[in-house]
Amino acid sequence: MAGCNVQSPELNNVIDIQGLKKSYFLGNLEVPILHGIDLCIKKGEFVAIMGPSGSGKSTLMNMIGCLDRPTGGKVMLMGRDTNAITDNELAELRGFEIGFVFQNFSLIPRLSAYENVLLPTYSNTKDGMDTSGRARDLLKLVGLDDRTGHKPAELSGGQRQRVAIARSLINDPSLILADEPTGNLDSKTSVEIMDIFSDLHKKGRTIVMITHDPEMEQYVDRVVHIRDGNIGNN
Amino acid sequence: MLSPAQAIRISLGSIGSAKLRSALTTLGIIIGVAAVIANVSLGASFNQYFNDEIGAVGSNFIVVYSQNIDVFFDNELEVIKNTPGVDGVSPINQQMAQVTYMSTSRQIDIQGVTQDYDEVANFELDSGTFLTDKDRYVAVIGAEVAYEKFDKKISIKNPIDITFRREDGGVVTETFIVKGVITDPETTFAQTGVEPEIRVFISIDTMNEILGRDDYGGFFIKAQSLEVVRETSDEIDKRLARSLGVPSRDLENDDAKPYILFDQIEILEDTNQLSTALSSLLTSVALISLIVGSIGIMNIMLVTVAERTPEIGLLKSLGYNERDILLLFIIESMIVGLIGGIIGTVAGIGAASIANDLLDVPDVFPVSLIFLGFFVSLMVGLVAGVYPARKAARMNPVEALRKE
Repeated sequence: MAGCNVQSPELNNVIDIQGLKKSYFLGNLEVPILHGIDLCIKKGEFVAIMGPSGSGKSTLMNMIGCLDRPTGGKVMLMGRDTNAITDNELAELRGFEIGFVFQNFSLIPRLSAYENVLLPTYSNTKDGMDTSGRARDLLKLVGLDDRTGHKPAELSGGQRQRVAIARSLINDPSLILADEPTGNLDSKTSVEIMDIFSDLHKKGRTIVMITHDPEMEQYVDRVVHIRDGNIGNN
Repeated sequence: MLSPAQAIRISLGSIGSAKLRSALTTLGIIIGVAAVIANVSLGASFNQYFNDEIGAVGSNFIVVYSQNIDVFFDNELEVIKNTPGVDGVSPINQQMAQVTYMSTSRQIDIQGVTQDYDEVANFELDSGTFLTDKDRYVAVIGAEVAYEKFDKKISIKNPIDITFRREDGGVVTETFIVKGVITDPETTFAQTGVEPEIRVFISIDTMNEILGRDDYGGFFIKAQSLEVVRETSDEIDKRLARSLGVPSRDLENDDAKPYILFDQIEILEDTNQLSTALSSLLTSVALISLIVGSIGIMNIMLVTVAERTPEIGLLKSLGYNERDILLLFIIESMIVGLIGGIIGTVAGIGAASIANDLLDVPDVFPVSLIFLGFFVSLMVGLVAGVYPARKAARMNPVEALRKE
């Protein structure tokens, strides 16, 4: 039982999951969701985690995203054992190392596109980073340089997801974690969004995408199938 | 870590997005702060009013009197005159006597005083002049005595007959020529027994001659300044006690002394105590409305936290830690409180100014009250925000995100 075969501390392994178990408790009743998962994601990989609903893929995403702690086993992010750090350190790790992209975009409606992109930097900023310049560059990268002052309500679904992608990149994270990023978009817009992800992947970004849509396989290096809390054969 | 400046910017956006709700929430704080400000300001105005009133009685005065006869003589008058800090002193004798003018008779309080009394008591004269030490059968009368007591008005140079009752039971009637009329000072309280408008003042030497007395009922003393009133009155107390043979160990025991001494400071303190009690009563009522206002803010903040649960989940996923989320919501709560405080302070100043006008008291507004208003409202916001903010900060990010 091992995640990554080579335990290289040189941060070649972005995610190294070993024997991960996660259960939820309904009163005293233990409901196991993940039954001992091993998973290794290397730097520069574009991986899709696929499975039907109820398979545990959302729970796995929460574990990879350090939003929750394992019941058993361990999750290593950039060589750091998430079991060994405090909640505040875990929050900081999320802020610096993980860029989330959600199915429903999760933008703050009161803030402009530009401010939404800057939002993570209010809490965690890398030393010496020109955050406002970078926010503008990222909005340009996703093709929204003429929409920086718009509120989310003034943007289309695809544009909102572009803002969310720009936001996920603001702190130059090691991993982009996208949860059904095209789930709320029509097929044409989905293609546009996936093109952005492909583009990021070509530039060397590590991306993990949760999806149940088999069409997405064409964009990724590798598909991890999850069923009933276990990883199937790739 | 989230900086307070960023937290304020984000919070202002949130408050702005729910303007009506925020306005209704601040209403409780507005009323509470306005009531506190108005009450404290009114209290200060009343203090000023009391001080002015007492100032009108006489400036820097000290009063000594005895309920027994044959306590004070010329010797005590000299003792007081020679006490440092004493600017002027008049001995006083007092008797109710029958005054007759143009065949109408009234019982009126007759005060035997000296020339110095005019200055000590701060009199203003409607007409004529005050007594001098050379005057004998001459009287200075109060405005009410002159204009209202008798069927016909008394003016200067009119003769009045005063009938005294002597200690030995004899009755003496003498005629006095009115020399001056004292203006009614229009003070409504804190008269300390002066009330010149209903009195008749004559020479104390003449009065004693008629009554066959050679003692004084008391002294009305003026100190050089308000600052020295207290020490001068203490010194007079000490010297009088020694002169009258009161042992020095009984100096603090008022019952052991055959006289009573009080000064302007004491009356100021008494009235200040009264107005302080009054305004603290009103302020405690205002504090209750502040508590109600604070519960209102807490209630709305709890609703806000529940509404924004998915946002809290998002912020947590973006790397905000518990402290950041806590700060965000406490600052929002404090801003709501402060907005209420600013409006409430303005309203309170306005209310106090209107009330001062209506009650005809001086408009005193301590500037520190503005800071008090702001401080109180910030504290109310802080206290009200802690529980909802903690609730938000401790949310599990996975569950919070799932609320969408």
